[in-house]
Amino acid sequence: MEQTSQESQLGSSNSVTYESPYPIYGMAFSSSERVALGSFIEDYTNRVDILSFNPETLSLSPHPSLSFDHPYPPTKLMFHPTSPDLLATSGDFLRLWELRDSSSSTHPLSLFNNSKTSDFCAPLTSFDWNHLDPNRIATSSIDTTCTIWDLHRSLVETQLIAHDKEVYDIAWGEARVFASVSADGSVRIFDLRDKEHSTIIYESPHPDTPLLRLAWNKQDLRYMATILMDSNKVVILDIRSPTTPVAHLDRHRASVNAIAWAPHASSHISSAADDTQALIWELPTLASPSGIDPICMYSAPSEINQLQWSPTYPDWIAIAFANKMQLLKV
Amino acid sequence: MVPDNMKEQLALSVRSIHWSYAIFWTDSATQPGMLSWGEGYYNGDIKTRKTSQGIELNSDQIGLQRSEQLRELFKSLKTAEISPQTKRPSAALSPEDLTDAEWLPGRTLAKGQPIWLNNAHSADCRVFSRSLLAKSASIETIVCFPFMEGVIELGTTEQVSEDLSIIQQIETSFLNSLHVNVPNKPGATLKSRNREDLSYRAFDHDAYNVELTPEVGYNIANTTSPNGSSNALQATQQLDETFMVERITSGTFQVQSWQVMDDELSNCVHNSMNSSDCISQTLASPEKIDSIPKCNNPSDPCGQDSEKRNNPKMTLVDPRSDDWHYQRVLSTLLKSSDQLLMGLHLQKLHQESSFVSWKKGGSMDCQRPRAGTSQKLLKKVLFEVPQMHLDGLHESQEENDYKEGMRVEADEIGMNHVMSERRRRAKLNERFLTLRSMVPSITKDDKVSILDDVIEYLKKLERRIKVLEDQRGVTDLETETRRLPEDMVERTSDHYFSKNSNVRKPVTKKRKVSGVDDTGREIISDALKGSYVDDVTVSTSENEIVIEMKCPSRPGKLQQIMGAVNSFNIDFNSVQSTEADGNLHLTIKSVDLVGVVQRSPTVFCLGNLLWSLLCIGLLRVLWLVIS
Repeated sequence: MEQTSQESQLGSSNSVTYESPYPIYGMAFSSSERVALGSFIEDYTNRVDILSFNPETLSLSPHPSLSFDHPYPPTKLMFHPTSPDLLATSGDFLRLWELRDSSSSTHPLSLFNNSKTSDFCAPLTSFDWNHLDPNRIATSSIDTTCTIWDLHRSLVETQLIAHDKEVYDIAWGEARVFASVSADGSVRIFDLRDKEHSTIIYESPHPDTPLLRLAWNKQDLRYMATILMDSNKVVILDIRSPTTPVAHLDRHRASVNAIAWAPHASSHISSAADDTQALIWELPTLASPSGIDPICMYSAPSEINQLQWSPTYPDWIAIAFANKMQLLKV
Repeated sequence: MVPDNMKEQLALSVRSIHWSYAIFWTDSATQPGMLSWGEGYYNGDIKTRKTSQGIELNSDQIGLQRSEQLRELFKSLKTAEISPQTKRPSAALSPEDLTDAEWLPGRTLAKGQPIWLNNAHSADCRVFSRSLLAKSASIETIVCFPFMEGVIELGTTEQVSEDLSIIQQIETSFLNSLHVNVPNKPGATLKSRNREDLSYRAFDHDAYNVELTPEVGYNIANTTSPNGSSNALQATQQLDETFMVERITSGTFQVQSWQVMDDELSNCVHNSMNSSDCISQTLASPEKIDSIPKCNNPSDPCGQDSEKRNNPKMTLVDPRSDDWHYQRVLSTLLKSSDQLLMGLHLQKLHQESSFVSWKKGGSMDCQRPRAGTSQKLLKKVLFEVPQMHLDGLHESQEENDYKEGMRVEADEIGMNHVMSERRRRAKLNERFLTLRSMVPSITKDDKVSILDDVIEYLKKLERRIKVLEDQRGVTDLETETRRLPEDMVERTSDHYFSKNSNVRKPVTKKRKVSGVDDTGREIISDALKGSYVDDVTVSTSENEIVIEMKCPSRPGKLQQIMGAVNSFNIDFNSVQSTEADGNLHLTIKSVDLVGVVQRSPTVFCLGNLLWSLLCIGLLRVLWLVIS
């Protein structure tokens, strides 16, 4: 293992690279040094690998004993907001895994199935763990619904038909407020206290251009960001001005794959795209007619598929391209 | 370096001509060749800064106090300047050369001649980087003239046409009051003295000047001097390094000034007097940085690099950029604290950052986006992975439908050959995975290896069974020979079993009653050639294992049997035993098997094979106990 961790230190003093045996898609930072990586193999058997990141020694050490098999590629990985021992994955079901350091193993803790009639529920495209109320997870599904889970009781708190088409991503804003994006091209906000109504705060310009990802600015809840299918734009929305985006970040030269707000600052957002670049943007208080330029950039060897900003080490951003994960110092 | 009463003198002179501020830039103590803040006096009213008339109404005290604040501010900047852990400015904040900030004073010093700048607020920020500030403070005219190994900068909110007599007046007043023993023509002295130190400065500035003067329509009293140009040619790599150091310092400078600004927003104008340099540096467009190396001698090692970055457009003055800068300066000034933190954060770590400053048009080494599907993996995750699961769902429905004899929806099966093929493969893979988990000592993951290992494992089990059978056969032969030949070849067939055992064994009926459904499998002991065929029966159904056995009753036998059974780690929740004719009849039922093997229904799909393995194991152990 020591050898492996040395091997993983391909980077210089400001980045660390980990080369996985498999292509990587899912990626998650925990509230500690733990990092989870999900493989993307177009087959039944997939893996979730657990690593430890040490920013002091710039090392990434894999924990093979904590890694586990996953049926089909996980569509998203996410750690419990405060506990690095609980990991959730989505795919056919929402699954909770417990990483046990004591026994050096990972155990499937529970599997959430909201279908009463069969062993299968509609596949999940994404989920979000409520950072204010960790007992809640919201999942988005291709069956146009969003499901809110009560984790302790392993029950469906509520299920909403959220969109007209597949729901592709979901994000919590407050303990009871979440938003979702869909193939129907809309961003909608839901409040669990009033399940009858949702608010459409954005619709893609060409009707039915699917919106693929959504990120809610946890430092300033007025803002969220979304990306469109086959678009190089990151659309910044202000929930106070529905339907009119406050900004289009369009300096990527190919379609955007991932977005993440800075965990510690309210006006910074990072994005990664097919143009192999990861950009960091600072939203100005006044928009310029010529558009907004990113403040800095990083070029990867190939298309960047995933990007996460570490809440534990806010000066580190992780990107995934091909079968590599790279941690970049900001 | 700075005379004690410099501030008073500055105050005196600036008020004597009703101007807004005076700054004395002096040769930096810590960094030779660099101009730094020597002393300053602000002679304005913050709220009514448009009226220069109000200047005299300000009391001396307030004016001096403000100057003191300026001084304090600069002290903090200076501390940062000399602190060893100077960090390079962040890419986020377009690192800018401090010489640029001091460009006007710097050039003055280099040439030893006064420079008169009108319309300071509309000057290109590359010429007078604090023009942005000038704009916000309505400073119209700026004058720089060399004085005492330094430069005095004066500014006013009024449009004042060039008048050397003003400079003369101030110079005289200074000289008179300071009683300094400098020659009457300080500029001339400085000119020679500074030639060395400032050559690189001149190189930057003047090279710039050459480029920009024709394009920018403001008044600069002095245009490029031949001296400066020749200096430019003398610029060496070494000087470039010094230049880098300065850039680093300026980064720190920025950090400090930002902090201070945050604290003293109310004193905005004051602070900006100093920090505007930094801000405008911060916000200066990347082109500016680019054009600096452009001035390099093309033959030096960096030449290639600078050529590569050389973009003719970059030297053009974009009229919009000024507005844009202005907006950004204002927004920077008014930003909330966390943004400043972020800025600091980015700044602090720039030295080690993986990120580089973003440039318009992108760096040349950046790969062109490849042809092919965009967002390939993202789309696969969102569109195809759910389909994989759905395939599993349909597959399972097909199975259920088949079992229940229901019609399968036409659109759900076999419509698409590709889909069904994919489904079949997924199914196969799943089974292989299960098979792999059932057999110990799997060496490799590929399918051939899995099959090889399974074959090997089965052979091994068969051999062991054979050995056991042989042992049993010998004993049986010795004790009794009550088995019929047909029974010896009996196999695990329900019909045969039922037919034969119904006659002999009531327990069989009981099992039937318990309802083994069509998916259940059973294996009976008559796999064993020889006797005691029905002494041990292991049968399984969907979710339980039933062991029925009969053996001669002996003390401790029951415990022995249970011990053997428990060694399989299967929870048995029901044990019935009866003794009759000296024989012990035992029926053991397991709990829900889900906990035993795997939740996956696919275990069952492997059919008799896996269950046979399990049951054979159980049988083997029990036989050993009985015999």
